[in-house]
Amino acid sequence: MKSRHTRRGALALGVGVVGALAGCLGGTSGSAGSSESTGSSPASSPTASDADGPPAADHAPYVAYEASRLRNATVSGGVTKDGIPSIDEPSFLDASVAALDDGEIVFGVVRGDDVRAYPQRILVHHEIVNDRLDGVSVSVTYCPLTGTVLGFERGETTFGVSGTLVNSNLVMYDRATDSRWPQVLATAVEGPLEGRALREFEVVWTTWGRWRRRYPDTAVLSEDTGYARNYGIDPYGSYAPTVRGYYNRESTMFDPLATDDRLGTKTVVVGVRTDAGATAVSMDRLRTRGVVDATIGDDRLAFVHDPVLDAGHAYRVPADATVESATDAVRVDGERYAPDALPFERRHAIEAMWFAWAGFYPETTLHA
Amino acid sequence: MRKRLRRAAWTVRAALRRRDGRAAFLLGVLGYPLLYLGTIGHLAVGGRGWSVLVVDDPVARAFRQTRPFSFEPVARVVAEPLVVLLSPLDVAVALVLAALVGANLAVAVAVWRSPAACGVESSAGLLAGVPALLTGATCCGPAVLFALGVGATGTLLTVFGYATPLTALLLLGGLLLVARSADTNAVRTDG
Repeated sequence: MKSRHTRRGALALGVGVVGALAGCLGGTSGSAGSSESTGSSPASSPTASDADGPPAADHAPYVAYEASRLRNATVSGGVTKDGIPSIDEPSFLDASVAALDDGEIVFGVVRGDDVRAYPQRILVHHEIVNDRLDGVSVSVTYCPLTGTVLGFERGETTFGVSGTLVNSNLVMYDRATDSRWPQVLATAVEGPLEGRALREFEVVWTTWGRWRRRYPDTAVLSEDTGYARNYGIDPYGSYAPTVRGYYNRESTMFDPLATDDRLGTKTVVVGVRTDAGATAVSMDRLRTRGVVDATIGDDRLAFVHDPVLDAGHAYRVPADATVESATDAVRVDGERYAPDALPFERRHAIEAMWFAWAGFYPETTLHA
Repeated sequence: MRKRLRRAAWTVRAALRRRDGRAAFLLGVLGYPLLYLGTIGHLAVGGRGWSVLVVDDPVARAFRQTRPFSFEPVARVVAEPLVVLLSPLDVAVALVLAALVGANLAVAVAVWRSPAACGVESSAGLLAGVPALLTGATCCGPAVLFALGVGATGTLLTVFGYATPLTALLLLGGLLLVARSADTNAVRTDG
């Protein structure tokens, strides 16, 4: 009798724990997203009409690891391929009718005549929007676990969510060739296009109020995405510092490729990677200083804080130029310029959680 | 095995003939789906106004898998303050689990409240009830996984893909175990 009770008790506990986690997992995995499975969606099957996949970049960014190492570090995130569905037929609203609070996070893009804002609360449920901007087919992509938002040209194909992660980062796939593209690397690590780098464009992480002040006529991604989702809920919690959740915890869900404790794991940095390497500055330091000097290889860079958008920009700066912060402007050799309009070549500035940046670029320099 | 299944079914039927057993069963059947749908994000508070949205081609969409044993919602109903995502197959999964949770609860309550006699002590019934209670009541969303820390959750996510069928099997196993030792006198119908 006694032993029977013991077994039953153990079973009871086991059932309870597993049962509890079954439900919890549902909530979590929906957000984390991933598992290397064959999706049943027609959209997930490569088609010949998309032929060669997305166009190649002229200059490939530095990748710190062999593709095989990255493939080996790829893990399931708990959802199937396309289980997190990309938005393939986006529709947009005028700013005047968008029901957004000023403090809501949006990802802003200016490309030609097109000015668009993509609310974080929509993208957290889709991660990829296949769109057209200024006549060019593009994808605006967001990875909740690394806090990164990047834009890519996609050519005739579209990108989807593979269901896998590397260094906690979204692994996209193109529907032409099914090649696998970790978002931050912008480079295929698996499939027929392995080694190809994507053409990128900058996407700004800011708030709706700030974006609308600068671009009052902006269009906004509509919640009419073709999917039934609760866009009022972020499965990972909230970016509000007082609210507990993934964004405000030190722990990550997956082991990073490399660890670096110079900053907290979720501390926001602004990073730049070129073909020669990577560098980053903490967002706090950039806010305080206005301008931060950095180098990658032989290139001198200037990180510049844009106080209107509370965002970072980066420029390749001549060695003898003087770049200084000034009230509401940046002074270059004595001349005043808007932070987003310095007379230099732009470099993509990418906001990211520190653990993600340091994991992908373990030899990055850091200005903190 | 067939005999044991018959005995489990008999035990459940006996429990359901009691008033407290029926109450426990209803609690499980009605309460568990709410918890299940809440934890997968298909039932939430925070909606404003009233609206119904149905996706295009809902039948095809209903069978599209989002993760193991979970499927695409085909409709969103906002009834302030609730937001409900309707995924027919997820509801079906929830109902199957709910029936098992309800049966476990019913048997547990019936055995617990009966005098200890001829086979099962009252504590056994209580223990059998724990899984059902925990299945619904201790579920607290993604915070549980995040709290487990670095690395662990990555591995667990893979395992968790099978948590739904595993839960069903364990709940069924709980019934079989209790039924094996339950005695006709332990589950009386005069509750």
